[in-house]
Amino acid sequence: MAGVVFDGGVALVTIRGSQRKVFEIYDRLMFSALGNQADIEAVRIAAIDFAHQEGFRRSPDDVTIQRVVGFALSPRLKAAFGDPFRTPHIVRALFAELGAEPERDVFHTLEFDGEFRSYSRAAAIGGTTEAGEEMVRWLERGLSEGLPTLRRALRLGLEAWAVGKLACAGELGEEPSAERIRRTLREALREGTVEVGILDRKTQRQSKFRLLEEKEIEGLVSIGGEPAEEG
Amino acid sequence: MAGGSQDSLWAGYCGDFLRLLDRSGDLPAFLRGGASGASVAPHTEGTTVIAVKYRDGVINVGDRRATAENFVLYDRADKILPLDDYTLIAVSGSYARAMEAVRLLRHSFEYYRRSQLQEISLEGKLSEVTRLLAASAAESSGPQAVMLPLLSAYDRQRGEGRLFFYDALGARFESAEFGAAGSGSHRIRGAFDYIVKTKGPFHQMTFNQALREALVLLDIAAELDAATGGLEKVPPTVKAVCAEGIRELSEDEVLKHVRKLKGGS
Repeated sequence: MAGVVFDGGVALVTIRGSQRKVFEIYDRLMFSALGNQADIEAVRIAAIDFAHQEGFRRSPDDVTIQRVVGFALSPRLKAAFGDPFRTPHIVRALFAELGAEPERDVFHTLEFDGEFRSYSRAAAIGGTTEAGEEMVRWLERGLSEGLPTLRRALRLGLEAWAVGKLACAGELGEEPSAERIRRTLREALREGTVEVGILDRKTQRQSKFRLLEEKEIEGLVSIGGEPAEEG
Repeated sequence: MAGGSQDSLWAGYCGDFLRLLDRSGDLPAFLRGGASGASVAPHTEGTTVIAVKYRDGVINVGDRRATAENFVLYDRADKILPLDDYTLIAVSGSYARAMEAVRLLRHSFEYYRRSQLQEISLEGKLSEVTRLLAASAAESSGPQAVMLPLLSAYDRQRGEGRLFFYDALGARFESAEFGAAGSGSHRIRGAFDYIVKTKGPFHQMTFNQALREALVLLDIAAELDAATGGLEKVPPTVKAVCAEGIRELSEDEVLKHVRKLKGGS
């Protein structure tokens, strides 16, 4: 999964099979994860529970990624990981939060052992730690030109996804060519579909989350991973 | 279910927000029980809220006055609140309790939607309100402390507006045409029937026609009930729910309608 900021907010991009992968946690919080399905579900529910309790007890403004991940989720994962009588939760999660201003948008990755890290403009998780790092490197490079449009952000996210896939298979090499990336995406999209969740800064609604519809995605990204038309 | 989590009760698995709050001890005071001094101290209440159907949905009109006994505490109270994109709740009775209840219900619906990955059905929403009222009635210690809502929803499946009112214990009644609640509502109850009998059913009226009737009724309620604010000092709240969602008239737009009324056009 790749998370990246764009000029209208924050996006999480992935390619999925039959199961939904990108989820809304709270008004300005979304998440996606890799791993064991039941464990992912447990993390999702725990995050939603904590967010809604806090949001009600105090206020929606007090629900932040730092609190959800740092105080509610990480200790539980660490406990399961450290306890010799329990199996660890097999999950690697990526959270995204829409800040009050673009400078305050933030991502968090959360590992099965409770370790979490924050990122500011882009973040990614892959099957291996190294794959994740390669993906983030790719995203950061793509962001060097400044805040992208949604179209460009999606393309970047999908390219990063392909980079991660190649890295996991050990086929990344020094510098993956655009052609290799396109081929990887084409193959993946034969069976999978692109899933994109955004936190929309411009919407008037209280909840900023939106899952893009197939039509919207098709308009932004064509099968090969190239944009449908430049602009 | 595999997953190895320590908590044996996952409220999220059934989307029940009240149970989640109960577990963490976060239930608001009016649901938690134990006698409180709330019914003895003067608290903000007194109002008239009116809901009428129209051709494309349901209009809600509410006065803006909040009183405590015979003191006017606040003249800009908004008593008609969105619960979600297609549901409006009009509150009467204890204002503080109503605000807490609305906050709770909103969170409850969102919690269900996010954890269950599907929106709660209209029936489900109505039942949540019942649960809240029943729990609140069990703890309240006087008729003043009770909140009575009017629920207006656009039913997308049926393609029509629907209107529900509740009694103090949470029993729910669906109304075919109109509803009113609050201290001023009793004075105008018969007038609704008069309008239906002489001008025809509300649900066939246009927005402007139905709004006009509702404003006249609110005006009468204001004249006959001291706790209900009039139309002119601060224009009443006007919100409607229809196929496109919730629509709110600005103060200027409401004033225009009020002036047309008084101008006799």
